[in-house]
Amino acid sequence: MITCSRCGKENQDLYKFCLGCGAKLQPAAAPAAKPAALPDAYPATPPPELAAAAMTTAPPSPETFAAVAQAFVPAAAPALVPDFAPPVAPTPPPSAPASVPSVQIGIGSVPMQVPTRPNAANSPVAGIRPMTAVPATGMPMASALQPAHAPFSAPVVETVACPHCGKPVAAAFAFCGGCGHRMKAAPGAVGEAAIQRADAVAPTPARMGPRGHLTLIRPDGTEGGVFPLQEGPSVVGRGKAVLFDSDPYLSPEHVEFVLTEKGLEVRDRRSLNGVFVRITDEETLASGDSFRIGQELLRFDAINPITPLDDGTEIIGTPNPGYWGRLSVVVGRDLDGPAFPLFEEKARLGRERGDILFPEDGYVSGAHCELSIRDGRVFIKDLGSSNGTFLRVRESRSVPSGSLMLMGQQLFRVAFK
Amino acid sequence: MSTKTCPNCGNHCPENDRFCGQCGTRMDDVPVSPAGGVGKTMFFSGVQPAGLAKLVLVKADTGDGLAYQLSGTEHVVGRSEGAILFPDDPLLSPRHANFFYRDSKLLVGDEGSTNGVFIRIHSPARLESGAAFLVGEQLLQIEALAPDFGPQPDAEGTYFYASPKRASKMRLIQRLRGGDIGLIVRARGDSITLGREGNDVNFPDDPFISGRHAELSIGPDGVFTIVDQGSKNGTFIRIVGETQLNHGDYVFVGQQLFRVEIT
Repeated sequence: MITCSRCGKENQDLYKFCLGCGAKLQPAAAPAAKPAALPDAYPATPPPELAAAAMTTAPPSPETFAAVAQAFVPAAAPALVPDFAPPVAPTPPPSAPASVPSVQIGIGSVPMQVPTRPNAANSPVAGIRPMTAVPATGMPMASALQPAHAPFSAPVVETVACPHCGKPVAAAFAFCGGCGHRMKAAPGAVGEAAIQRADAVAPTPARMGPRGHLTLIRPDGTEGGVFPLQEGPSVVGRGKAVLFDSDPYLSPEHVEFVLTEKGLEVRDRRSLNGVFVRITDEETLASGDSFRIGQELLRFDAINPITPLDDGTEIIGTPNPGYWGRLSVVVGRDLDGPAFPLFEEKARLGRERGDILFPEDGYVSGAHCELSIRDGRVFIKDLGSSNGTFLRVRESRSVPSGSLMLMGQQLFRVAFK
Repeated sequence: MSTKTCPNCGNHCPENDRFCGQCGTRMDDVPVSPAGGVGKTMFFSGVQPAGLAKLVLVKADTGDGLAYQLSGTEHVVGRSEGAILFPDDPLLSPRHANFFYRDSKLLVGDEGSTNGVFIRIHSPARLESGAAFLVGEQLLQIEALAPDFGPQPDAEGTYFYASPKRASKMRLIQRLRGGDIGLIVRARGDSITLGREGNDVNFPDDPFISGRHAELSIGPDGVFTIVDQGSKNGTFIRIVGETQLNHGDYVFVGQQLFRVEIT
């Protein structure tokens, strides 16, 4: 067991970097004591290469890559909530020593690994940044270490908020542990290549405008990559970044995020499937609005008042017993499946309890959401469902940081400041 | 040009004519209709010659009402045009249906009305996809669903995200007054039973529907068969074009229910 000199976390002997803070670990014993359980593919020496080897030999798929990255920084990752609960603001690790920086951070060394990844050449920078971001603090190479620095021993250290994602980062860190954003200009001692890389990744390190990012939330609740949002408009769609390329339900230009000092505006670019924001409060529902619960895509339509035709004839039909709306299950493009009339003041939707049931959709909670009418206005609210109620953005809307949204068949969390 | 309507056969005559050009009925006392204006409900008098058939207006509360002798050759029912007028029935088109004789048979034809002509079925009847029918107060429509060929991408290669769905051959649509859709039910099998309770689709609040009212089934050709299950108030299907009537038939036009009596 190796106790991290920086944050005090106990790590297994085979770890080269602290699982808690990413600092380089001093081997508890001589390198020869390295457990035999290491994969053969990992070079036995020099030890500092180990992590880099793990990086370069990892399968090139973004998911796997990100998973590797996550494995190194579980404490730094925002809380993962499998039921997609609204995320809390990222908080630093509870123990103060966790933030104590180590001199052994390999500034600039890890980004150099990126071009060696098999798929890197074809990947837009924006797409690979999330993968490189997280390990940045935990993947130094020995060659980049600055021997002149001595380890810090102070138990408490100041943090600064990452201008990109808002995560608190130890003041001495060169890169944000949450998103990989370069926190400070590269020191002169760092190699020229590292500086160039830094320029490529963060072309405007000095600008302090609003920054944000989209984080992919996988079905199991883990995070699957990050898409950065710069100040101004960012268009997201299939083909815009690796994060979106595998989703055939995304239009090539799907949604535009406009980040300003005032906040973040989400604009649907007339995409086929739209963008849906998880509602946290009761919201008004207009005729034609769509929303998603579980796997269901539903549309609300108001019942129109009876208006006679030009010749004075009214259209025959069942006398309206008080229906004020209709909820249709959308089963295809311009194709409605079952439709349910809405009457009385409230209609509850759920898997087991309520007026309109989806007993075969395991992603719908027992009691999921509620539609109601008051003073002629229709409202929708979530009933504390596990997976949430997502309302389609009509044309555009402002969303707060921490919002969850569905684009195509993927779930994202947006954060900015 | 103003006209007056023959009280016997419904023929529109020039306002100065003293006799109907079609049936010869004296028209001295018939008021002139304003041009294109609202007609007036006409009543037949007992002195008129007995026809082959008559229409008995059935009232829900009071039972049989007026009887209309069909002594001419054509008898148009409408809100403002024709021999049998219901100016207060907004579900009737100005000129709605025509009861007429051909080869000594009584027929009813839809005069291109908005809401159609419905007749009560006695035996299993065929319904094409999209056809409308009445059970109790419910106006329903049955549609055959095209086979699902799976998702298809749009021109940009994007697939449409939709709710999971089960294969279904047909769907039933409730049409509300005014034309809106109320309910849509997709059938899981080849048939749908309708009624007040205990059926595939129930209308528990409809006082005119029987416990077990009607059953629809789809044939291999995509054409439906509708069977009345011995309901009290019957099952009515919308006619296409014209259809022959027999003694005891019931015909719904607008809000008016007629019983056909042929002597």
